[in-house]
Amino acid sequence: MDTLTNWRERLISKTTRPTLVTTYKYWLWLSFLVVIAGNGVFQYWKQWQDGLYVTDMRDRISWGLYITAFVFFIGISHAGTLISAILRASKASWRAPITRIAEFITAVSLLVGASFVVIDMGRPERIFNVYLHGRWQSPIMWDVMAITTYLTASVIYLYAPMIPDLGLYRDRLADKVGAVRNFIYRTLALDWNGTPTQLRLLGKAITIMMLIIIPIAVSVHTVVSWIFAMTLRSGWNTSIFGVLFVAGAIFSGVATLILVMAVLRRIYHWEEYLTQKHFLYLGYLLAAFGAFMVYINLNEYLTEGFNLEEAGVFAFRQLFLEDFAVMFWFYIIGGLLGPIVLMLIPKTRTIAGVVAAAILVDIAMFIERYFIVVTGLRVPLMPYEPASYSPTFVEWSVFVAGLAFFCLLLTVAIKIFPMLAVWEMTEEHEAAIAGTRAKEALMAGAEVVGSATSTERSPDPGRPAEGGSS
Amino acid sequence: MTDRHIGFSARITISILTMLTMVMMATPAFAADIAIAVGAPERVSIGQDVEVKAVLSEDGVPVEGAEVALTYQASLAGESARVEIAWGTTDATGTAVMIYEQRADDNGEMQVVYLGPGADPVQPYVFTIAVESDGPQLYQIEAGVTIPFINGTLVITVISTVWFLIALAAIYLVRVGRAGRLASEAPTTEDGSMWISTALATAAVITAIGMVIVFVRSPVSNTHIKDPHSYDRTPIAYVGVDFSYVGFGLDDESAAQTGDPIADGSVLYFKYGCAACHGLSGQGAVVGTPLVDEIGSFGSFSEDIREGPKGMPGYDDATISEENLQRIHAYLKDGD
Repeated sequence: MDTLTNWRERLISKTTRPTLVTTYKYWLWLSFLVVIAGNGVFQYWKQWQDGLYVTDMRDRISWGLYITAFVFFIGISHAGTLISAILRASKASWRAPITRIAEFITAVSLLVGASFVVIDMGRPERIFNVYLHGRWQSPIMWDVMAITTYLTASVIYLYAPMIPDLGLYRDRLADKVGAVRNFIYRTLALDWNGTPTQLRLLGKAITIMMLIIIPIAVSVHTVVSWIFAMTLRSGWNTSIFGVLFVAGAIFSGVATLILVMAVLRRIYHWEEYLTQKHFLYLGYLLAAFGAFMVYINLNEYLTEGFNLEEAGVFAFRQLFLEDFAVMFWFYIIGGLLGPIVLMLIPKTRTIAGVVAAAILVDIAMFIERYFIVVTGLRVPLMPYEPASYSPTFVEWSVFVAGLAFFCLLLTVAIKIFPMLAVWEMTEEHEAAIAGTRAKEALMAGAEVVGSATSTERSPDPGRPAEGGSS
Repeated sequence: MTDRHIGFSARITISILTMLTMVMMATPAFAADIAIAVGAPERVSIGQDVEVKAVLSEDGVPVEGAEVALTYQASLAGESARVEIAWGTTDATGTAVMIYEQRADDNGEMQVVYLGPGADPVQPYVFTIAVESDGPQLYQIEAGVTIPFINGTLVITVISTVWFLIALAAIYLVRVGRAGRLASEAPTTEDGSMWISTALATAAVITAIGMVIVFVRSPVSNTHIKDPHSYDRTPIAYVGVDFSYVGFGLDDESAAQTGDPIADGSVLYFKYGCAACHGLSGQGAVVGTPLVDEIGSFGSFSEDIREGPKGMPGYDDATISEENLQRIHAYLKDGD
């Protein structure tokens, strides 16, 4: 039992480390992000002043980097759902250390992604007209609906499983952090002391959200794809677009999760918790989704190409042979086949290999979003010369600022919130060491966590042992 | 919005130009020797094929081979114009039969006008045809295929269920807070901690209700495609009707022959599409920069137009002659 207590104490000290220790490197990184984000804000202010003229979006290609960023970030947000909800629902025990990070990625990238829609608008103040005069016959309306639902749900889904850990932070860090964070913990912990009633109610909330967030997440990226697929444009109006977008979303979400995990693991020395096993499992997931993406692409382009319509000739030529060929083939070879190859070769089946695969995937998925948006609009609807589009400095600045905001929100969050799910990890750890009595321990898991957290109030070395041995 | 940007004097100028053009066009007296008589039903209903007969005679002798057109007064988006809806050629008895399909629910003032071959204007024949007001709308959009239960109600039910569950989860969190407060003998958290979950639950419930309201009221928040009455709110351009609407005739260079470089320049400013980017009176707009107070010497102005700075297209000599360029320059520099 001593081992368990020690293990848990070490876990807590490792988890709270980012909250308690702040080095100059953190501030350096933070100011770097603020500068990048600040430049984006300044460039957006210019766009606000001069209008969308400062972008390269014109009448023929009216969507560009902003909508690409929107689709990309909403895609990344699927990390939390898949890893957290699906693995939690299927009771995959290895998920515990990575769920919290995944859920944070979801909430943060949703915020960033959704704001790109507003950034893309020439008259952003008219966003409220969607609510005032919205028609549910419009795919844009479905999108607003789906994203609002997903954002609300994922915030609750991030928050609910964090409550016990916030309770822990409230008790452990009361005299170690300032008034603001103390207030945050006191408020957000909801008087958590792990009573059976609280555990039962929290369990219900988590179960509801876990089950409902999966269809919501699937609907979100399907609806995003429908914005394209509901048009009569060659390359967009295929029935497989929903599947392509959802699979791509999970694909890039997992990749982003791997990258964030790798960074946190290195900085905060979480090697014990974020083990090679986690990286490899996620790497296999990447490879599996890479194969699935290859299949979807084959399915889409072969069906469209076999009965090639007139506009399709142009769409195919620009994608496979001409303007966008480099992007497209990098996406197929580097982004989809690359991760599979990296996972197949034993030598690259390492954390570094998985991280390399994740970088490839994220770049490839961004490129895929880009050429989907731009090539679709580039196909001439009437006999006119195809327009060209290349993002301006303003657009790049705002996009990079989006990335910076994504990192910034995570960087700030890590100073406040527990990034490792202490109570879930403890639960899993106990289940693991209980061996044959694993099932029993899980059944009594409620009491374990309950007593474990309440010990912080009245330190009594006997009590966690009770929970553990029950 | 756009009206605001037209300067008062610019409006006066345009009005005067228009009136001048009209007066110039109307100057020759009507050739009174051709008379038009029309036979038409007094009352028709929507969807009916209406036959209008016009008889042309000159001093009592039937006019053969004359082109005539039937027009009605249409208005669209605040603009009003005469629309030709049928054409005919007179036969040996001087009669032209024109058939049109009644689409609008009001024809306004109808006219039979003489188109030729003579160049002299002929007094048009003015009459009215009343339209049965309670007839069906000809152009009523069908909502595609109607499948039972696959409709807005289903959508609203699904959305309500999802949001009910989200709100339920949030309410469970409120209860977590309440249970914690009841359980702790000596609450360490004097400032309470239920409000955050309550706020979360409230926000979820309000958003849920808002989302459903947006969907429920959606069909009436815009023109409803099914109800003929609300459908009528928007003036309709009918497919198959030729709008021979002339507008101000700004692409007509004869309007820029007044001799006054500023007045001519203002017309040419429209003709060459400068207004599309630089605003109706050169005040600048989303795409184009302001011109009015920024115009320098003719030399630099001309250079800009020919080469096209930034995203602006260049206009060569063949498109805008040097003379016209000077007049546009005069308008932008000295016009107000």
